[in-house]
Amino acid sequence: MYGFEALTFNINDGYLEAIVRGYRSGLLTAADYNNLCQCETLDDIKMHLTATEYGPYLQNEPSPLHTTTIVEKCTLKLVEEYKHMMCQATEPLSKFLEYITYGHMIDNVVLIVTGTLHERDVHELLEKCHPLGMFDSIASLAVAQNMRELYRLVLVDTPLAPYFSECITSEDLDDMNIEIMRNTLYKAYLEDFYKFCEKLGGATAEIMRDLLAFEADRRAVNITINSIGTELTRDDRKKLYSNFGLLYPYGHEELAVCEDIDQVRGAMEKYPPYQSIFAKLSYGESQMLDKAFYEEEVKRLCLAFEQQFHYGVFFAYMRLREQEIRNLMWISECVAQNQKTRVHDSVVFIF
Amino acid sequence: MAEIESDQLQRASLDETKVKNEDEEEEECILQFLDSLDAYLTLVDSLSSSLRQGWFDLASARQSMGHTRISSKLFDHKVHSASTTINITELDADNPSDPKPQFSLSKWATTKENPSSEVPNNSNLRHRAPTGVLEDDEKSNGTQVSSVVSNDIQKERSKSLTIFGGLVSPKLRTAQVSFETALDKIVEIANARSSMLSSFSQLQLNKKSSS
Repeated sequence: MYGFEALTFNINDGYLEAIVRGYRSGLLTAADYNNLCQCETLDDIKMHLTATEYGPYLQNEPSPLHTTTIVEKCTLKLVEEYKHMMCQATEPLSKFLEYITYGHMIDNVVLIVTGTLHERDVHELLEKCHPLGMFDSIASLAVAQNMRELYRLVLVDTPLAPYFSECITSEDLDDMNIEIMRNTLYKAYLEDFYKFCEKLGGATAEIMRDLLAFEADRRAVNITINSIGTELTRDDRKKLYSNFGLLYPYGHEELAVCEDIDQVRGAMEKYPPYQSIFAKLSYGESQMLDKAFYEEEVKRLCLAFEQQFHYGVFFAYMRLREQEIRNLMWISECVAQNQKTRVHDSVVFIF
Repeated sequence: MAEIESDQLQRASLDETKVKNEDEEEEECILQFLDSLDAYLTLVDSLSSSLRQGWFDLASARQSMGHTRISSKLFDHKVHSASTTINITELDADNPSDPKPQFSLSKWATTKENPSSEVPNNSNLRHRAPTGVLEDDEKSNGTQVSSVVSNDIQKERSKSLTIFGGLVSPKLRTAQVSFETALDKIVEIANARSSMLSSFSQLQLNKKSSS
């Protein structure tokens, strides 16, 4: 207990906390995953999922199924649950729930801009966008030639507008500039979300501080590893790291100069929470790093449900569902490619 | 009389030698055919395993980066020249009834004109692309140039992945290498098949001439 949330939380947000805890009990268990991992075909997966909460979304899908269809239908369930909570929420919970979708909005903006740069049809790209990140004028993104136009014509009226101050230039959009824009926007979004949670105070601030700090640190590691061997300079790399988190600022100084995965390991092992993550990997290996980070994230997200009267449960539920969808995508890919022996390489059990 | 007998004996021994040589030639052709068939089957198996690994690595990359970031919807529809081309050489130009084409890859062609990597002047060469960096040049030009060439190749590899974003997961780079290996194997399979067909047609010719 951090304050007097128990006295007032349930007045406006008690119903939705009960709803989200009910949703949480519908997450797939280890027994469900074991059944799914033994499926021989995608139709078997569909049959097993029909017996879960995904049933109504998949049962009418015709064969042959594709892995992208399974992912799309499972995502629809998440979107419906989110919309149900959103339409019942009042301030400041409604604002908190909106913040959860800004990451998807950034991904959708980058998808449209990248696809347009590659002369793809905007309608094809809109089909690929995440439903949680859609906004009214998203199709107009195809018109912009540089970031200034992007901001002036479309994004000035969206929630992403405040995040553009650090990346408005008149340079033409190319693949590297777009990547820098993506990471700069995400950095600004995470910092803004962090400040919002701090303003809310109480248990929400305490729990979200930990979850968002982990997210910022994980992004810093991924940016470092993905930029090794590319034209991104050390200074540009450092500018993409968020200004909070366990690694800020000294860990960022070390990560900015890393040239291989072993140097990244050396920088991260100084921090006890990440020492256990890197202890699972052998030297020079980065294949299992994603799974190790996802496992740590799931552990922290599940812990958020141990307390009541805070908004962290909503964030944790959305992230756990996204992890579940990632698990289903991975299992479907392994079954479709007849690689069932490798299915446990990336499945992260939630319960 | 003795002369006629000696002539007959000589002719018989010549005939015997000729038959023996023909038999040896035929056996050699059969061995060559079986060797090329074995090489072909081994390469097909190896190609299957490279492709399998490539698709698995691509699924891992999609798991890491997100399924919207790695999608065919992001492929570049702008017109640009191919980064990898295939060269076809006819090895046995003197025997048009038994053509034996030889295939080779020119990987990761640079966009700049590079005079040191001109295609050799060969009338039998069918080359359908702009100038490319032939990987065989590395052996004759020393380690300094070979490291420059391999840096160029690395840059071209990274450049081709930028359709998925400027910062991609190492798993996507691994998938790229797997598919590149598969492409090399496809060319080797084409050469093995060409060798196999050539041996087979030689066998058939020998069989016709002996009967």
